[in-house]
Amino acid sequence: MNNYVLQAEDVAIHYGGVKAVDGVSLTLEKGQIRGLIGPNGAGKSTVIDAITGRRRLTRGKVMLGTEDVSALGVVDRRMRGLSRSFQRTSVFGQMSVRKQVELASHKMGVSDSAADADAVLEELDLRPLANVIAEDLGYGEQRRLDLALALVGHPSVLLLDEPMAGLSVQESHDLAHHLTALTSRRDVSVLLVEHDMDVVFGISDVVTVFELGRVIASGAPSDVRADPRVREAYLGSAA
Amino acid sequence: MSIQRMSLNTLAALVIGAVIALTVSSGTVLSLLTQAIIYAVFAIGVGLLLRQNGMVSFGHALYFGAAGYGIGIILQLGLMPAELAIVVTLAAIAIVGLLFGLVIVRVPGIAFGMLTLAIGQMFFLTASRARGLTGGADGMSIDWPSTLFGISQSVLLRPANLFMLCWIVLVGIILLLALLLRSRFGSITEAVRDNEERARFIGISTLLPRAAVYALSALVTGVGGVLSALNTGFISPESLHWSLSGMTLMMVVVGGYKALWGPALGAVVYFLFKDILGDYADHWMAIFGIALITVIVFSPTGIAGALQKLRFRHQATPAKAAVSSH
Repeated sequence: MNNYVLQAEDVAIHYGGVKAVDGVSLTLEKGQIRGLIGPNGAGKSTVIDAITGRRRLTRGKVMLGTEDVSALGVVDRRMRGLSRSFQRTSVFGQMSVRKQVELASHKMGVSDSAADADAVLEELDLRPLANVIAEDLGYGEQRRLDLALALVGHPSVLLLDEPMAGLSVQESHDLAHHLTALTSRRDVSVLLVEHDMDVVFGISDVVTVFELGRVIASGAPSDVRADPRVREAYLGSAA
Repeated sequence: MSIQRMSLNTLAALVIGAVIALTVSSGTVLSLLTQAIIYAVFAIGVGLLLRQNGMVSFGHALYFGAAGYGIGIILQLGLMPAELAIVVTLAAIAIVGLLFGLVIVRVPGIAFGMLTLAIGQMFFLTASRARGLTGGADGMSIDWPSTLFGISQSVLLRPANLFMLCWIVLVGIILLLALLLRSRFGSITEAVRDNEERARFIGISTLLPRAAVYALSALVTGVGGVLSALNTGFISPESLHWSLSGMTLMMVVVGGYKALWGPALGAVVYFLFKDILGDYADHWMAIFGIALITVIVFSPTGIAGALQKLRFRHQATPAKAAVSSH
Protein backbone atom coordinates (compact mmCIF):
# COMPACT_ATOMS: atom_id res chain seq x y z
CA MET A 1 0.00 0.00 0.00
CA ASN A 2 1.54 3.32 -1.01
CA ASN A 3 0.87 6.59 0.73
CA TYR A 4 0.61 8.91 -2.24
CA VAL A 5 -1.94 11.68 -1.88
CA LEU A 6 -2.07 12.06 -5.64
CA GLN A 7 -1.23 9.67 -8.40
CA ALA A 8 -1.58 10.23 -12.14
CA GLU A 9 -1.15 7.04 -14.13
CA ASP A 10 -0.43 7.03 -17.84
CA VAL A 11 -2.49 10.20 -18.34
CA ALA A 12 -3.05 11.18 -21.95
CA ILE A 13 -4.97 14.04 -23.53
CA HIS A 14 -5.30 14.14 -27.29
CA TYR A 15 -7.00 16.83 -29.34
CA GLY A 16 -7.78 15.11 -32.60
CA GLY A 17 -4.34 14.08 -33.79
CA VAL A 18 -2.45 16.35 -31.43
CA LYS A 19 -1.06 14.57 -28.42
CA ALA A 20 -0.86 17.42 -25.89
CA VAL A 21 -0.12 14.97 -23.10
CA ASP A 22 0.88 11.44 -23.98
CA GLY A 23 1.23 8.95 -21.16
CA VAL A 24 2.35 10.91 -18.13
CA SER A 25 2.67 9.33 -14.71
CA LEU A 26 3.52 11.25 -11.61
CA THR A 27 2.96 11.02 -7.87
CA LEU A 28 2.76 13.33 -4.91
CA GLU A 29 3.55 12.33 -1.35
CA LYS A 30 2.10 13.97 1.70
CA GLY A 31 3.63 17.39 2.31
CA GLN A 32 5.72 17.19 -0.83
CA ILE A 33 6.34 19.95 -3.35
CA ARG A 34 6.84 18.66 -6.87
CA GLY A 35 8.07 21.13 -9.45
CA LEU A 36 6.93 20.67 -13.02
CA ILE A 37 9.03 22.31 -15.69
CA GLY A 38 9.36 22.16 -19.44
CA PRO A 39 9.40 24.41 -22.47
CA ASN A 40 6.24 26.21 -23.63
CA GLY A 41 3.75 23.79 -25.12
CA ALA A 42 5.21 20.82 -23.30
CA GLY A 43 1.81 20.06 -21.79
CA LYS A 44 2.29 21.27 -18.22
CA SER A 45 -0.94 23.23 -17.95
CA THR A 46 -2.81 20.46 -19.76
CA VAL A 47 -1.68 17.99 -17.12
CA ILE A 48 -3.05 20.29 -14.43
CA ASP A 49 -6.32 20.55 -16.35
CA ALA A 50 -6.41 16.76 -16.63
CA ILE A 51 -5.80 16.19 -12.94
CA THR A 52 -8.37 18.77 -11.82
CA GLY A 53 -11.02 17.51 -14.24
CA ARG A 54 -11.15 20.52 -16.52
CA ARG A 55 -10.18 18.31 -19.46
CA ARG A 56 -11.43 14.82 -20.07
CA LEU A 57 -8.77 12.13 -20.14
CA THR A 58 -8.16 10.30 -23.39
CA ARG A 59 -6.44 7.56 -21.43
CA GLY A 60 -5.14 6.83 -17.96
CA LYS A 61 -6.44 7.58 -14.52
CA VAL A 62 -6.12 10.00 -11.61
CA MET A 63 -6.08 8.72 -8.03
CA LEU A 64 -6.70 11.06 -5.12
CA GLY A 65 -5.56 9.17 -2.05
CA THR A 66 -7.02 5.74 -2.63
CA GLU A 67 -9.96 6.93 -4.70
CA ASP A 68 -10.12 6.91 -8.48
CA VAL A 69 -11.45 10.38 -9.41
CA SER A 70 -10.98 10.07 -13.19
CA ALA A 71 -14.71 10.09 -13.87
CA LEU A 72 -15.54 12.97 -11.51
CA GLY A 73 -16.09 16.58 -12.53
CA VAL A 74 -14.30 19.69 -11.30
CA VAL A 75 -16.69 20.38 -8.42
CA ASP A 76 -16.56 16.83 -7.03
CA ARG A 77 -12.77 16.74 -7.17
CA ARG A 78 -12.52 20.06 -5.37
CA MET A 79 -14.88 18.79 -2.68
CA ARG A 80 -12.53 15.82 -2.16
CA GLY A 81 -9.55 18.08 -1.57
CA LEU A 82 -8.06 18.62 -5.03
CA SER A 83 -7.57 22.33 -5.48
CA ARG A 84 -5.88 24.63 -7.99
CA SER A 85 -4.88 28.17 -8.81
CA PHE A 86 -4.80 29.62 -12.30
CA GLN A 87 -2.10 30.80 -14.66
CA ARG A 88 -4.12 33.88 -15.49
CA THR A 89 -5.36 35.28 -12.23
CA SER A 90 -8.89 34.10 -11.63
CA VAL A 91 -10.79 35.81 -8.84
CA PHE A 92 -14.27 37.28 -8.40
CA GLY A 93 -13.76 40.87 -9.51
CA GLN A 94 -16.84 42.51 -8.01
CA MET A 95 -16.65 40.88 -4.58
CA SER A 96 -14.70 41.86 -1.52
CA VAL A 97 -11.71 39.73 -0.60
CA ARG A 98 -13.20 38.34 2.58
CA LYS A 99 -16.61 37.68 1.04
CA GLN A 100 -15.26 35.48 -1.72
CA VAL A 101 -12.80 33.59 0.44
CA GLU A 102 -15.52 33.01 3.02
CA LEU A 103 -17.89 31.82 0.27
CA ALA A 104 -15.28 29.36 -1.02
CA SER A 105 -14.75 28.07 2.49
CA HIS A 106 -18.49 27.69 3.04
CA LYS A 107 -18.86 25.74 -0.20
CA MET A 108 -16.14 23.40 1.03
CA GLY A 109 -18.38 22.55 3.96
CA VAL A 110 -16.21 24.18 6.62
CA SER A 111 -18.46 24.72 9.63
CA ASP A 112 -16.80 27.94 10.80
CA SER A 113 -16.13 29.36 7.37
CA ALA A 114 -15.49 32.88 8.67
CA ALA A 115 -12.66 31.68 10.91
CA ASP A 116 -11.20 29.50 8.16
CA ALA A 117 -11.27 32.40 5.73
CA ASP A 118 -9.63 34.74 8.22
CA ALA A 119 -6.89 32.19 8.93
CA VAL A 120 -6.09 31.82 5.25
CA LEU A 121 -6.14 35.60 4.72
CA GLU A 122 -3.80 35.99 7.68
CA GLU A 123 -1.47 33.37 6.27
CA LEU A 124 -1.20 35.19 2.95
CA ASP A 125 -0.97 38.70 4.43
CA LEU A 126 -4.34 39.62 2.94
CA ARG A 127 -5.99 40.47 6.24
CA PRO A 128 -5.58 44.27 5.87
CA LEU A 129 -7.20 44.07 2.43
CA ALA A 130 -10.17 41.93 3.52
CA ASN A 131 -12.81 44.54 2.66
CA VAL A 132 -11.33 45.67 -0.64
CA ILE A 133 -13.15 44.74 -3.87
CA ALA A 134 -10.97 42.27 -5.76
CA GLU A 135 -10.64 44.27 -8.96
CA ASP A 136 -9.18 47.16 -6.96
CA LEU A 137 -6.29 44.99 -5.75
CA GLY A 138 -2.80 45.12 -7.20
CA TYR A 139 -1.71 42.26 -9.42
CA GLY A 140 0.46 40.57 -6.82
CA GLU A 141 -2.36 40.82 -4.29
CA GLN A 142 -4.79 39.26 -6.75
CA ARG A 143 -2.39 36.35 -7.20
CA ARG A 144 -2.38 35.80 -3.45
CA LEU A 145 -6.19 36.03 -3.40
CA ASP A 146 -6.28 33.39 -6.13
CA LEU A 147 -4.13 31.21 -3.88
CA ALA A 148 -6.36 31.95 -0.89
CA LEU A 149 -9.41 30.73 -2.82
CA ALA A 150 -7.58 27.48 -3.50
CA LEU A 151 -6.43 27.07 0.10
CA VAL A 152 -9.67 27.29 2.07
CA GLY A 153 -11.36 24.11 3.24
CA HIS A 154 -8.03 22.36 3.88
CA PRO A 155 -7.38 20.74 0.51
CA SER A 156 -4.92 17.84 0.49
CA VAL A 157 -3.49 18.67 -2.93
CA LEU A 158 -2.79 22.06 -4.43
CA LEU A 159 -1.99 22.46 -8.13
CA LEU A 160 -0.39 25.78 -8.91
CA ASP A 161 -0.16 26.89 -12.51
CA GLU A 162 2.66 29.43 -12.73
CA PRO A 163 1.85 31.26 -9.51
CA MET A 164 4.85 33.56 -9.92
CA ALA A 165 3.99 34.71 -13.45
CA GLY A 166 4.15 38.48 -13.67
CA LEU A 167 5.42 38.99 -10.13
CA SER A 168 8.50 41.01 -9.23
CA VAL A 169 11.56 39.20 -7.91
CA GLN A 170 10.71 40.26 -4.38
CA GLU A 171 7.07 39.20 -4.74
CA SER A 172 7.93 35.76 -6.10
CA HIS A 173 10.48 35.31 -3.35
CA ASP A 174 7.75 36.11 -0.79
CA LEU A 175 5.29 33.78 -2.46
CA ALA A 176 7.86 30.95 -2.52
CA HIS A 177 8.37 31.51 1.18
CA HIS A 178 4.60 31.36 1.76
CA LEU A 179 4.39 28.12 -0.20
CA THR A 180 7.02 26.25 1.75
CA ALA A 181 5.50 27.45 5.01
CA LEU A 182 2.03 26.40 3.86
CA THR A 183 2.95 22.86 2.93
CA SER A 184 4.19 22.15 6.41
CA ARG A 185 1.61 24.17 8.35
CA ARG A 186 -1.48 23.21 6.35
CA ASP A 187 -0.38 19.70 5.49
CA VAL A 188 -0.93 20.23 1.82
CA SER A 189 1.01 18.70 -1.07
CA VAL A 190 1.84 20.94 -4.00
CA LEU A 191 2.29 20.35 -7.71
CA LEU A 192 3.99 23.47 -8.97
CA VAL A 193 4.22 24.49 -12.62
CA GLU A 194 6.60 27.40 -12.87
CA HIS A 195 8.99 29.07 -15.28
CA ASP A 196 11.14 30.67 -12.62
CA MET A 197 13.95 28.09 -12.32
CA ASP A 198 15.37 29.54 -9.11
CA VAL A 199 12.00 29.13 -7.45
CA VAL A 200 11.37 25.62 -8.77
CA PHE A 201 14.78 24.27 -7.85
CA GLY A 202 14.79 26.24 -4.62
CA ILE A 203 11.57 24.98 -3.03
CA SER A 204 10.74 21.66 -4.73
CA ASP A 205 11.44 18.32 -3.09
CA VAL A 206 11.31 16.62 -6.48
CA VAL A 207 11.30 17.98 -10.01
CA THR A 208 9.69 16.52 -13.13
CA VAL A 209 10.71 17.69 -16.59
CA PHE A 210 8.28 17.63 -19.53
CA GLU A 211 8.94 17.72 -23.21
CA LEU A 212 6.34 17.29 -25.95
CA GLY A 213 3.74 15.82 -23.62
CA ARG A 214 6.06 13.27 -22.01
CA VAL A 215 8.20 13.07 -18.89
CA ILE A 216 11.87 13.08 -19.83
CA ALA A 217 13.33 13.27 -16.34
CA SER A 218 12.20 13.10 -12.75
CA GLY A 219 13.96 13.11 -9.41
CA ALA A 220 15.70 15.25 -6.82
CA PRO A 221 16.45 18.79 -8.02
CA SER A 222 20.22 18.23 -8.09
CA ASP A 223 19.88 15.04 -10.12
CA VAL A 224 17.52 16.64 -12.60
CA ARG A 225 19.78 19.61 -12.99
CA ALA A 226 22.66 17.27 -13.83
CA ASP A 227 20.69 15.10 -16.27
CA PRO A 228 22.24 15.53 -19.73
CA ARG A 229 18.92 15.05 -21.52
CA VAL A 230 17.37 17.84 -19.51
CA ARG A 231 20.30 20.12 -20.14
CA GLU A 232 20.04 19.46 -23.84
CA ALA A 233 16.28 19.67 -24.17
CA TYR A 234 15.43 22.51 -21.92
CA LEU A 235 17.86 24.14 -19.60
CA GLY A 236 20.49 24.79 -22.24
CA SER A 237 23.97 25.79 -21.24
CA ALA A 238 22.65 28.38 -18.79
CA ALA A 239 21.94 25.71 -16.17
CA MET B 1 -27.50 47.50 3.52
CA SER B 2 -28.55 46.70 7.07
CA ILE B 3 -31.97 45.23 7.82
CA GLN B 4 -32.80 48.44 9.67
CA ARG B 5 -32.03 50.60 6.66
CA MET B 6 -34.08 48.26 4.50
CA SER B 7 -37.16 48.40 6.68
CA LEU B 8 -36.84 52.16 6.87
CA ASN B 9 -36.59 52.46 3.08
CA THR B 10 -39.53 50.12 2.63
CA LEU B 11 -41.63 52.14 5.02
CA ALA B 12 -40.66 55.37 3.26
CA ALA B 13 -41.53 53.86 -0.12
CA LEU B 14 -44.95 52.76 1.12
CA VAL B 15 -45.66 56.21 2.55
CA ILE B 16 -44.68 57.83 -0.75
CA GLY B 17 -47.06 55.49 -2.57
CA ALA B 18 -49.89 56.31 -0.18
CA VAL B 19 -49.27 60.04 -0.58
CA ILE B 20 -49.40 59.73 -4.37
CA ALA B 21 -52.58 57.64 -4.21
CA LEU B 22 -54.27 60.12 -1.88
CA THR B 23 -53.17 63.40 -3.43
CA VAL B 24 -53.34 62.73 -7.16
CA SER B 25 -56.96 63.21 -8.03
CA SER B 26 -56.79 62.78 -11.80
CA GLY B 27 -57.76 59.27 -12.82
CA THR B 28 -55.79 59.58 -16.04
CA VAL B 29 -52.57 60.40 -14.23
CA LEU B 30 -53.14 57.59 -11.74
CA SER B 31 -53.76 55.03 -14.44
CA LEU B 32 -50.66 56.19 -16.27
CA LEU B 33 -48.67 55.73 -13.08
CA THR B 34 -50.28 52.34 -12.53
CA GLN B 35 -49.20 51.26 -15.97
CA ALA B 36 -45.67 52.52 -15.27
CA ILE B 37 -45.54 50.56 -12.00
CA ILE B 38 -46.74 47.38 -13.73
CA TYR B 39 -43.95 47.70 -16.27
CA ALA B 40 -41.59 48.52 -13.43
CA VAL B 41 -42.28 45.05 -12.03
CA PHE B 42 -41.71 43.56 -15.49
CA ALA B 43 -38.45 45.51 -15.85
CA ILE B 44 -37.21 44.39 -12.44
CA GLY B 45 -37.55 40.80 -13.64
CA VAL B 46 -35.48 41.52 -16.75
CA GLY B 47 -32.98 43.56 -14.73
CA LEU B 48 -32.55 40.78 -12.17
CA LEU B 49 -31.39 38.42 -14.91
CA LEU B 50 -28.88 40.99 -16.14
CA ARG B 51 -27.70 41.90 -12.65
CA GLN B 52 -27.29 38.41 -11.17
CA ASN B 53 -26.49 36.38 -14.28
CA GLY B 54 -25.07 38.98 -16.61
CA MET B 55 -27.54 37.79 -19.25
CA VAL B 56 -29.70 39.83 -21.62
CA SER B 57 -33.10 38.38 -22.46
CA PHE B 58 -35.03 39.47 -25.53
CA GLY B 59 -37.90 37.17 -24.72
CA HIS B 60 -39.21 38.01 -21.28
CA ALA B 61 -42.52 39.24 -22.72
CA LEU B 62 -43.24 35.51 -22.85
CA TYR B 63 -43.67 35.41 -19.08
CA PHE B 64 -45.50 38.72 -18.99
CA GLY B 65 -48.05 37.59 -21.54
CA ALA B 66 -48.19 34.01 -20.27
CA ALA B 67 -49.50 35.27 -16.92
CA GLY B 68 -52.47 36.93 -18.62
CA TYR B 69 -53.15 34.00 -20.92
CA GLY B 70 -52.79 31.48 -18.11
CA ILE B 71 -55.34 33.23 -15.94
CA GLY B 72 -57.56 34.11 -18.89
CA ILE B 73 -57.77 30.52 -20.14
CA ILE B 74 -58.26 29.03 -16.68
CA LEU B 75 -61.12 31.45 -15.95
CA GLN B 76 -62.66 30.95 -19.38
CA LEU B 77 -62.73 27.20 -18.87
CA GLY B 78 -63.94 27.71 -15.30
CA LEU B 79 -61.33 25.34 -13.90
CA MET B 80 -60.80 27.00 -10.52
CA PRO B 81 -61.43 30.20 -8.57
CA ALA B 82 -59.52 33.27 -9.73
CA GLU B 83 -57.35 33.48 -6.60
CA LEU B 84 -56.13 29.94 -7.15
CA ALA B 85 -55.71 30.63 -10.87
CA ILE B 86 -53.26 33.42 -10.06
CA VAL B 87 -51.22 31.18 -7.79
CA VAL B 88 -51.24 28.24 -10.21
CA THR B 89 -50.29 30.43 -13.16
CA LEU B 90 -47.36 31.99 -11.29
CA ALA B 91 -46.18 28.59 -10.08
CA ALA B 92 -46.35 27.27 -13.63
CA ILE B 93 -44.34 30.25 -14.90
CA ALA B 94 -41.66 29.63 -12.27
CA ILE B 95 -41.46 25.93 -13.16
CA VAL B 96 -41.40 26.52 -16.91
CA GLY B 97 -38.82 29.26 -16.32
CA LEU B 98 -36.64 26.81 -14.38
CA LEU B 99 -36.93 24.12 -17.08
CA PHE B 100 -36.15 26.58 -19.89
CA GLY B 101 -33.40 28.04 -17.70
CA LEU B 102 -31.70 24.70 -17.17
CA VAL B 103 -31.34 24.40 -20.93
CA ILE B 104 -30.69 27.92 -22.18
CA VAL B 105 -28.43 29.44 -19.50
CA ARG B 106 -25.72 27.06 -20.74
CA VAL B 107 -25.59 29.07 -23.94
CA PRO B 108 -23.25 32.05 -23.61
CA GLY B 109 -23.51 35.66 -24.74
CA ILE B 110 -25.50 36.82 -27.72
CA ALA B 111 -26.60 33.27 -28.58
CA PHE B 112 -28.52 33.23 -25.30
CA GLY B 113 -30.30 36.43 -26.30
CA MET B 114 -31.22 34.94 -29.67
CA LEU B 115 -32.56 31.79 -28.01
CA THR B 116 -34.79 33.80 -25.69
CA LEU B 117 -35.99 35.74 -28.72
CA ALA B 118 -36.77 32.53 -30.62
CA ILE B 119 -38.63 30.93 -27.72
CA GLY B 120 -40.60 34.10 -27.08
CA GLN B 121 -41.63 34.47 -30.71
CA MET B 122 -42.61 30.81 -30.84
CA PHE B 123 -45.18 31.43 -28.12
CA PHE B 124 -46.24 34.69 -29.73
CA LEU B 125 -47.09 32.83 -32.94
CA THR B 126 -48.75 30.00 -31.07
CA ALA B 127 -51.02 32.43 -29.24
CA SER B 128 -51.77 34.28 -32.47
CA ARG B 129 -52.80 31.10 -34.27
CA ALA B 130 -54.68 29.26 -31.55
CA ARG B 131 -57.92 31.11 -32.23
CA GLY B 132 -60.13 28.63 -30.42
CA LEU B 133 -58.41 28.99 -27.10
CA THR B 134 -56.86 32.46 -27.14
CA GLY B 135 -58.95 34.41 -29.62
CA GLY B 136 -55.92 34.60 -31.88
CA ALA B 137 -54.69 38.02 -32.91
CA ASP B 138 -57.86 39.64 -31.49
CA GLY B 139 -56.88 38.64 -27.99
CA MET B 140 -59.26 37.60 -25.23
CA SER B 141 -60.88 39.36 -22.35
CA ILE B 142 -60.31 37.99 -18.88
CA ASP B 143 -63.46 37.16 -16.89
CA TRP B 144 -62.44 38.36 -13.48
CA PRO B 145 -65.04 37.42 -10.86
CA SER B 146 -66.92 40.18 -9.01
CA THR B 147 -64.76 39.76 -5.91
CA LEU B 148 -61.06 38.95 -5.67
CA PHE B 149 -59.48 37.98 -2.35
CA GLY B 150 -62.68 39.21 -0.71
CA ILE B 151 -62.51 42.66 -2.29
CA SER B 152 -65.15 43.63 -4.76
CA GLN B 153 -64.01 44.50 -8.27
CA SER B 154 -65.41 48.00 -8.26
CA VAL B 155 -63.33 48.85 -5.19
CA LEU B 156 -60.23 47.12 -6.49
CA LEU B 157 -60.32 48.78 -9.88
CA ARG B 158 -60.73 52.30 -8.54
CA PRO B 159 -57.61 54.08 -9.93
CA ALA B 160 -56.17 55.05 -6.54
CA ASN B 161 -56.66 51.55 -5.12
CA LEU B 162 -55.26 49.75 -8.12
CA PHE B 163 -52.27 52.07 -8.11
CA MET B 164 -51.68 51.38 -4.43
CA LEU B 165 -51.96 47.64 -4.97
CA CYS B 166 -49.37 47.71 -7.77
CA TRP B 167 -47.13 49.97 -5.72
CA ILE B 168 -47.24 47.62 -2.73
CA VAL B 169 -46.45 44.65 -4.94
CA LEU B 170 -43.51 46.53 -6.47
CA VAL B 171 -42.08 47.55 -3.11
CA GLY B 172 -42.65 44.04 -1.75
CA ILE B 173 -40.80 42.46 -4.67
CA ILE B 174 -37.82 44.81 -4.32
CA LEU B 175 -37.68 44.11 -0.58
CA LEU B 176 -37.88 40.33 -1.01
CA LEU B 177 -35.24 40.34 -3.72
CA ALA B 178 -32.95 42.53 -1.62
CA LEU B 179 -33.31 40.11 1.29
CA LEU B 180 -32.72 37.10 -0.94
CA LEU B 181 -29.63 38.59 -2.54
CA ARG B 182 -28.11 39.36 0.86
CA SER B 183 -28.21 35.65 1.59
CA ARG B 184 -25.80 32.96 0.46
CA PHE B 185 -27.79 32.64 -2.75
CA GLY B 186 -26.81 36.22 -3.59
CA SER B 187 -23.07 35.64 -3.17
CA ILE B 188 -23.16 32.34 -5.04
CA THR B 189 -24.90 33.86 -8.05
CA GLU B 190 -22.54 36.86 -7.98
CA ALA B 191 -19.55 34.53 -7.95
CA VAL B 192 -20.92 32.52 -10.87
CA ARG B 193 -21.64 35.71 -12.81
CA ASP B 194 -18.18 37.19 -12.17
CA ASN B 195 -16.20 34.07 -12.99
CA GLU B 196 -18.05 30.87 -13.73
CA GLU B 197 -14.96 28.74 -14.20
CA ARG B 198 -13.41 29.80 -10.93
CA ALA B 199 -16.75 29.28 -9.20
CA ARG B 200 -16.58 25.61 -10.17
CA PHE B 201 -13.09 25.43 -8.76
CA ILE B 202 -14.28 26.61 -5.36
CA GLY B 203 -16.91 23.90 -5.41
CA ILE B 204 -19.97 25.68 -6.79
CA SER B 205 -22.13 23.75 -9.24
CA THR B 206 -22.94 26.64 -11.52
CA LEU B 207 -25.90 25.48 -13.60
CA LEU B 208 -28.59 25.41 -10.94
CA PRO B 209 -27.93 28.88 -9.48
CA ARG B 210 -28.03 30.39 -12.96
CA ALA B 211 -31.22 28.55 -13.86
CA ALA B 212 -32.73 29.60 -10.52
CA VAL B 213 -32.03 33.26 -11.25
CA TYR B 214 -33.64 32.85 -14.66
CA ALA B 215 -36.71 31.24 -13.11
CA LEU B 216 -36.90 33.96 -10.46
CA SER B 217 -36.71 36.68 -13.09
CA ALA B 218 -39.46 34.91 -15.07
CA LEU B 219 -41.59 34.76 -11.93
CA VAL B 220 -41.16 38.47 -11.17
CA THR B 221 -42.06 39.30 -14.76
CA GLY B 222 -45.07 37.01 -14.41
CA VAL B 223 -46.26 38.98 -11.37
CA GLY B 224 -46.14 42.08 -13.57
CA GLY B 225 -48.25 40.17 -16.09
CA VAL B 226 -50.86 39.35 -13.45
CA LEU B 227 -51.11 43.01 -12.47
CA SER B 228 -51.46 43.97 -16.11
CA ALA B 229 -54.22 41.38 -16.60
CA LEU B 230 -56.00 42.89 -13.61
CA ASN B 231 -55.51 46.41 -14.88
CA THR B 232 -56.69 45.90 -18.45
CA GLY B 233 -58.88 42.80 -18.11
CA PHE B 234 -57.62 41.84 -21.52
CA ILE B 235 -54.75 39.93 -23.08
CA SER B 236 -53.53 39.76 -26.67
CA PRO B 237 -50.49 38.35 -28.46
CA GLU B 238 -48.89 41.79 -28.33
CA SER B 239 -48.12 41.12 -24.69
CA LEU B 240 -45.94 38.22 -25.87
CA HIS B 241 -44.21 40.09 -28.67
CA TRP B 242 -40.46 40.60 -28.64
CA SER B 243 -40.83 44.35 -29.11
CA LEU B 244 -42.28 44.45 -25.60
CA SER B 245 -39.20 42.62 -24.31
CA GLY B 246 -37.06 45.16 -26.14
CA MET B 247 -38.97 48.07 -24.65
CA THR B 248 -38.45 46.68 -21.15
CA LEU B 249 -34.78 46.20 -21.86
CA MET B 250 -34.61 49.93 -22.69
CA MET B 251 -36.17 50.71 -19.32
CA VAL B 252 -33.56 48.51 -17.64
CA VAL B 253 -30.70 50.26 -19.43
CA VAL B 254 -32.03 53.76 -18.79
CA GLY B 255 -32.77 53.06 -15.15
CA GLY B 256 -29.63 51.02 -14.55
CA TYR B 257 -29.43 47.39 -13.50
CA LYS B 258 -26.75 47.54 -10.81
CA ALA B 259 -29.33 48.72 -8.29
CA LEU B 260 -32.38 46.50 -7.84
CA TRP B 261 -34.72 49.48 -8.09
CA GLY B 262 -32.98 50.90 -11.19
CA PRO B 263 -35.19 49.16 -13.77
CA ALA B 264 -38.29 50.39 -11.92
CA LEU B 265 -37.01 53.93 -12.15
CA GLY B 266 -36.36 53.33 -15.86
CA ALA B 267 -39.95 52.22 -16.37
CA VAL B 268 -41.34 55.34 -14.70
CA VAL B 269 -39.03 57.59 -16.73
CA TYR B 270 -40.09 55.78 -19.91
CA PHE B 271 -43.79 56.31 -19.29
CA LEU B 272 -43.33 59.94 -18.28
CA PHE B 273 -41.36 60.54 -21.47
CA LYS B 274 -43.99 58.78 -23.50
CA ASP B 275 -46.80 60.81 -22.00
CA ILE B 276 -45.15 64.22 -22.04
CA LEU B 277 -43.36 63.95 -25.38
CA GLY B 278 -46.21 62.02 -26.97
CA ASP B 279 -48.31 65.18 -26.73
CA TYR B 280 -45.83 67.15 -28.78
CA ALA B 281 -44.27 64.71 -31.18
CA ASP B 282 -45.56 61.65 -33.04
CA HIS B 283 -42.11 60.18 -33.16
CA TRP B 284 -41.37 60.54 -29.49
CA MET B 285 -39.45 57.26 -29.58
CA ALA B 286 -36.75 59.00 -31.59
CA ILE B 287 -36.33 61.50 -28.77
CA PHE B 288 -36.33 58.73 -26.21
CA GLY B 289 -33.68 57.00 -28.31
CA ILE B 290 -31.44 60.03 -27.99
CA ALA B 291 -31.99 60.04 -24.25
CA LEU B 292 -31.10 56.34 -24.18
CA ILE B 293 -27.85 56.94 -26.05
CA THR B 294 -27.00 59.84 -23.76
CA VAL B 295 -27.47 57.68 -20.69
CA ILE B 296 -25.40 54.82 -22.13
CA VAL B 297 -22.54 57.14 -23.04
CA PHE B 298 -22.44 59.25 -19.89
CA SER B 299 -23.64 56.80 -17.27
CA PRO B 300 -23.40 53.17 -18.34
CA THR B 301 -24.88 52.20 -15.00
CA GLY B 302 -28.05 54.16 -15.82
CA ILE B 303 -29.84 56.85 -13.88
CA ALA B 304 -29.69 54.77 -10.71
CA GLY B 305 -25.94 54.41 -11.10
CA ALA B 306 -25.53 58.17 -11.57
CA LEU B 307 -27.67 58.86 -8.49
CA GLN B 308 -25.70 56.39 -6.38
CA LYS B 309 -22.43 57.89 -7.53
CA LEU B 310 -23.64 61.35 -6.56
CA ARG B 311 -24.69 60.18 -3.11
CA PHE B 312 -21.45 58.25 -2.65
CA ARG B 313 -19.42 61.33 -3.51
CA HIS B 314 -21.37 63.36 -0.95
CA GLN B 315 -21.19 60.87 1.89
CA ALA B 316 -18.02 58.92 1.58
CA THR B 317 -15.24 61.32 0.72
CA PRO B 318 -13.44 61.01 4.10
CA ALA B 319 -13.91 57.23 4.25
CA LYS B 320 -12.45 56.81 0.78
CA ALA B 321 -9.39 58.82 1.70
CA ALA B 322 -8.83 56.53 4.67
CA VAL B 323 -8.91 53.42 2.48
CA SER B 324 -6.48 54.68 -0.10
CA SER B 325 -4.00 55.98 2.47
CA HIS B 326 -2.97 52.63 3.90
